[in-house]
Amino acid sequence: MTVRIFRWRAIGPLLLFALLGGVLWLVFADRIARRAAERIGTAIVGAKVEIQDLHIDLKNGDVTVRGLTVASPHEALKNLFQADELVADIDVVPLLEKKVVIDRLAANGLRFGTPRTTDGRMAGRPDGISGRVLAETQRWSEQFQVPALQLATGKIDVGTLDPRNLSAIPAAQALTARADSSRRAWQTGLDNLRLGAAVDSAKATLARLRTARATDLAALNEARRAIDQLKQARNRVTVLERGVTSGAAVLRAGVAGVDSAKQRDYAFARGLLKLPSLDAPEIGLALFAPTAVAQFQRALYWTQLARAHMPPGLLPRADVGPPRTRRSGSTVRFPRAHALPGFLLRTAELSFQLDPTAPQPKRYAGRLTGLTSDPALYGRPTLFEASAPAISAGAMLDHVHATARDTAGATVQGVRLPVFQLPSLPMRLDPGQGTAQLGFALRGDTIRARWGVRSTHVQWARDSGAARSTVTDLVWTTLSRITDLQVDAGVSGTLASPRLSVRSNLDEAIAARLRAMVGDEVAAAERRLRAEVDRQVDPVIAPARARVTAVQTEVTARLAEQRGKLDQAQKDLEARIREMTRIRLP
Amino acid sequence: MLTIVKLVQSLVKALHSEGTPGQLAAGIALGAILGLTPLVSLHNAVVFALIVMLNVSFPGAMLGWAVFVPVGFLLDPLFDWIGHRLLFTPFLTPFFTSLYNMPVVPLTNFNNTVTLGSLVFSLVFFVPLYFAARWGVTRYRATIGERVRQSKWYRALTASKVYNVYRLFRPES
Repeated sequence: MTVRIFRWRAIGPLLLFALLGGVLWLVFADRIARRAAERIGTAIVGAKVEIQDLHIDLKNGDVTVRGLTVASPHEALKNLFQADELVADIDVVPLLEKKVVIDRLAANGLRFGTPRTTDGRMAGRPDGISGRVLAETQRWSEQFQVPALQLATGKIDVGTLDPRNLSAIPAAQALTARADSSRRAWQTGLDNLRLGAAVDSAKATLARLRTARATDLAALNEARRAIDQLKQARNRVTVLERGVTSGAAVLRAGVAGVDSAKQRDYAFARGLLKLPSLDAPEIGLALFAPTAVAQFQRALYWTQLARAHMPPGLLPRADVGPPRTRRSGSTVRFPRAHALPGFLLRTAELSFQLDPTAPQPKRYAGRLTGLTSDPALYGRPTLFEASAPAISAGAMLDHVHATARDTAGATVQGVRLPVFQLPSLPMRLDPGQGTAQLGFALRGDTIRARWGVRSTHVQWARDSGAARSTVTDLVWTTLSRITDLQVDAGVSGTLASPRLSVRSNLDEAIAARLRAMVGDEVAAAERRLRAEVDRQVDPVIAPARARVTAVQTEVTARLAEQRGKLDQAQKDLEARIREMTRIRLP
Repeated sequence: MLTIVKLVQSLVKALHSEGTPGQLAAGIALGAILGLTPLVSLHNAVVFALIVMLNVSFPGAMLGWAVFVPVGFLLDPLFDWIGHRLLFTPFLTPFFTSLYNMPVVPLTNFNNTVTLGSLVFSLVFFVPLYFAARWGVTRYRATIGERVRQSKWYRALTASKVYNVYRLFRPES
């Protein structure tokens, strides 16, 4: 029996099946593409991307997107932007290679920062690139130590002074122990000199000399030996004196060290005062650093996201695979020189509004070129520019070479600036219409960024529910008269160790007011703390100082006494020898 | 429960179809590719076309698919590992680069670690599975197959309208 390999009669149903598949594709292609675009967009941005309608016209190579909404990955109820319509002119042939090449994109009705009713952030999914980048930039922003402005009560509090935290007390105790130890050592040194024996021997020799005749050479030689012994004993005393002198210097240095420790204790005690920030730069940091850091963090997020999706080089690189019931795995791209990139947007013409809530919103135009997933293949950086009478913005993402260089800058004039809620102050600052500037440059991992705000029509609002105090009343009185606002913030250094600086015209006003108000109180509190330090430290320092003085005096006196005895014995012996050897003429 | 019932139904129908053990085993082996690899892939359209066009057991293919879908889920970590090793093997990089920049081929998702790993695994597994299935079907038919065929519930199954639809794709001898 032979078995046929092909089932020819199944060709009909198979073709029918294929035809059905084709019809289903025609019917559902737009919906499938819309969902795929939403899914891919959400994964790239890290926030929900929603599309009302998407239509593919393969015949003419057009894709039209209507009602595009991209949520902000940083703010819960805010959109990054919305677009009324996007029309893309795509190359059809590269689609067969699963590559999307858009020759021209026209985006109309772009609106930024519009409100939304649901949280569009996808922060709960840190598995993808956007989640990882978001977590990294959040960790980066947490590096900055922002001082808190302590104005809640306005009271200067004297903290508890624990004697265990004072360094002068253990220093004085150590000095006392060292003085005692030195005294014992020097006493032992004096005993080991055996000066008594040398002096007694000299006295005995002197007694014999007094009865000896001038011709008694043995007695004279004995006397000379006794003098030599006295000289040797005096040398030993000299050596011991040198040791005592250097030891005394160490003890005096110890006394000076105790005094220094006491000064440090004063400084430590001053640190226990819960003072309001009085330095203008610190006030600037406390007031505006959170807002400035948030701006820098967002700029860094988009830059790092661009680096992750637009890496330099042509090496194979893996991304997270498509979401599906099965494991996603990793999808690896294999770019090849002179081939088309996986994604390329050659030119985009953007028409947008910056203040859509204004009575007569102004329209602006921008241009984006060379946005690609493989910058090394495209060979040119991605450029964005927008300019109008009141706006200038530009960005360049240069990932063509191994070291990525990203720069962006924007100055927007005459737009409504967001309201600032000042940290630690129960008041809000509404800058109204003003100028906002942002400059951002990231070369490799070296960052340089600047953010500034200018306004001449500042309005202040006080939180009615917040607790009132004398200090906050005074600060309110000071600030509510200020109608200008100038804030400048900057970040420099590397991503691993960035430096933040913030200054504003409010800093000095607040600092001067606080200094005038709390200066006397600070001085009185400092005096109280110094007295407390003295009370705890002096009972230990004074005995230590006295012990050092006593040891020095005692040892010096004993050395002088011993040296005197030696000198006297030698003097007596030498006088008797001179007397015996004097030539008497008949 | 319905899935299990359908699986048993498929198993019984396949084992008692008119095809030879070889046709049934080939169907199971092809169906295993559908089950082991992610379903929505271009290569599975080719596999499906082969199942329809080649004179293999269609119920056998459905059986192989049904049996190997859970196996595929279980072995996904292994597939991911195999795919990762293959895609990042330096001497294969020029080959994959050529495939990636070729028309149509990228639409197969070959550059996904799970897709490539599962496809390679199922192709390697195809021949042993074919011979094992053929041996198993032969043994079944020689031992308890006839008794099952005479049972009431098998007759009820074959009398249903579903069976008539199935007959359209039964193997030809």
